[in-house]
Amino acid sequence: MPIAYCLLPIAYCLLLSEFGSPDMTTELFAQLLVNGLSIGLIYVLVASGLILLLGVVRIFNFAHGEFYMLGAYITFGCCEVLHLPFFLSIAIAIVLVTLLALFCYRFIFHYIRGDILLCTAASIGLSMMLLRGALLGFGTQERGLHPPFKGAVGVGQVNLPIEKVVAILLCLAVMFGLYYLLMRTKLGKAMRAVKLDNEVASLQGINTNRIYLIAFGAGCALAALAGGIIAPVFSITPSMGHSLLLNCFMALVVGGMQSMVGGIVGGLVVGLTLSFGMYYVGGLTEILLFAVIGIIIVFKPGGLFGEPEEHE
Amino acid sequence: MNRMSVKKILVGLAGVCVVLGLLPQLTDSPYMMHLLVMSCINIMLGLSFSLLFSAGLVTIGAAGFWAIGAYTSALLVTRLDFSYWAALPLSGLAAAFVALVVGLVIVRTPGVAFIIQTMVINMILVQVFGHFEVFGSWAGILDIPSPNPIGPLVFTGKVGSCYLVIVLLLLNILAFYALYTSRVGRAWSAIRLNARLAETLGVDLFRYRLAAFMISSAGAGLAGSFYAHYFQSLEPGMFSVFKSIYVQIYSILGGLNFYIAGPVLGSLIMTFVPEFLRVSKEIEPIVTGAILVGLVIFLPGGILSLPERMRSFPVPFLRRKKETRFS
Repeated sequence: MPIAYCLLPIAYCLLLSEFGSPDMTTELFAQLLVNGLSIGLIYVLVASGLILLLGVVRIFNFAHGEFYMLGAYITFGCCEVLHLPFFLSIAIAIVLVTLLALFCYRFIFHYIRGDILLCTAASIGLSMMLLRGALLGFGTQERGLHPPFKGAVGVGQVNLPIEKVVAILLCLAVMFGLYYLLMRTKLGKAMRAVKLDNEVASLQGINTNRIYLIAFGAGCALAALAGGIIAPVFSITPSMGHSLLLNCFMALVVGGMQSMVGGIVGGLVVGLTLSFGMYYVGGLTEILLFAVIGIIIVFKPGGLFGEPEEHE
Repeated sequence: MNRMSVKKILVGLAGVCVVLGLLPQLTDSPYMMHLLVMSCINIMLGLSFSLLFSAGLVTIGAAGFWAIGAYTSALLVTRLDFSYWAALPLSGLAAAFVALVVGLVIVRTPGVAFIIQTMVINMILVQVFGHFEVFGSWAGILDIPSPNPIGPLVFTGKVGSCYLVIVLLLLNILAFYALYTSRVGRAWSAIRLNARLAETLGVDLFRYRLAAFMISSAGAGLAGSFYAHYFQSLEPGMFSVFKSIYVQIYSILGGLNFYIAGPVLGSLIMTFVPEFLRVSKEIEPIVTGAILVGLVIFLPGGILSLPERMRSFPVPFLRRKKETRFS
């Protein structure tokens, strides 16, 4: 069923291209599609992390973008400075960022868990500290990772940049892994139980504090992974997390905040709209995106796959 | 609210008026006066945040409605030659109107969805102001005139602006205070404490929340109108989501359960203290972030909850009360 939902954005981008200019070729369409999918899947990863935190731990994490940025920087450092292989660098980035996230959870959010407003405020403070710390530590200049893969993949007559294809494949693999974790393992079952009702879950013998810790670590690990995947594709700056997070919020508004499906569809819609919009309307893309969002929340106030919460 | 406390409050307000009236006379330095004006504007924004919080809604979009007020007023005065005194209420009305249109959709989903949606609206507004030539695009609007003089009163210099913003602030506080003590304010706090229970008592959740959203936006719009004519130039970058986040900090720092005194104290501290500490702009966000995190963990009720905390002093500070619970 989730795979069927994933086809929705593809239909959506076909729709977008139908109304476009007649000189749309297969090549161009494929390029735009791959661009949109690669950035959209990055949004999907980060948005899934946000939804995991929001659903299980009840924290709305503004520092998520900074964890993503740190993931990209650590990958860059391991690859370029220490000359480690790309995938090992991503693994190191995930481990380090997850440790930092667990530290933050234990010493900040653990004390205020359950109060969404206070958690939001604390995560905003954390995000400000991390962002400025990164600015001071890494400087403002843009960095670029030498792409670990070179060349292009030919699909029919269409040539696609290989690093974006790899990014897409990696994201898909991670999403399936996440699906497996949440739906097929005992840990995932415990997480879903805590999401439904934490008191009843702890009555069943689930150690809720441990589940919160694991869910927080997993959500931030997803952000770090997204950062590592994106490192060879885009330039790395300290403010990259901030702009990404804003797009992820839009993905949450589009898709809804209760289910992973919402995050997937929302992230893909935002990514594809940005990619196709950049070709058709140029600078007005963001306005186009806001128009799409406006239309969606007029008809579905809770997002496409979310139930409007009348009594929070 | 009995008669005695009303009298007390009136006396207190008179005292505040006198103090605030004398405040601009205490100092000659234009720098201090600038800080005073800025903190008054911040107080007005914090008040609008707290008004919405009193109805159980949390916004990260205050700066967006601030921008609407500022741009309405600036455009009316520079392009259509309105008097400032006509543009001031109109800018409040414009912000309230936008809040009405937007609120019809987003107030239906309170909670986290509302927080994100107000934030997205703030971003949309910045983009719209930046993209279209009518709003002066990214360069903004320059040369906005000072408020027109009324008879002998001129509002060009720092002192004039100071008095004007203090009068506006006091009017704002009085209006919000009247709302809080009225039936509407009680309905809002009922919604904040338990929305479902409030509904069974006949409170129309949607209408009261929408009203809170509109009134708080109007307050932010009025502050924006003054800000445009005080600063005399506008550009969209001033109204980013960061400003909205700072507005939230003002209210949390002062104390979320103190709808008027909280933002006043919080904004004063957040405006003056970083300037006096001479914190360099480089590490200022780190200090602010650390203050925010520390505050949330150790003093979630805000500074104004300190006296109550001190009363039960031997109890460790980490044991928290669930008073500011939002869910």
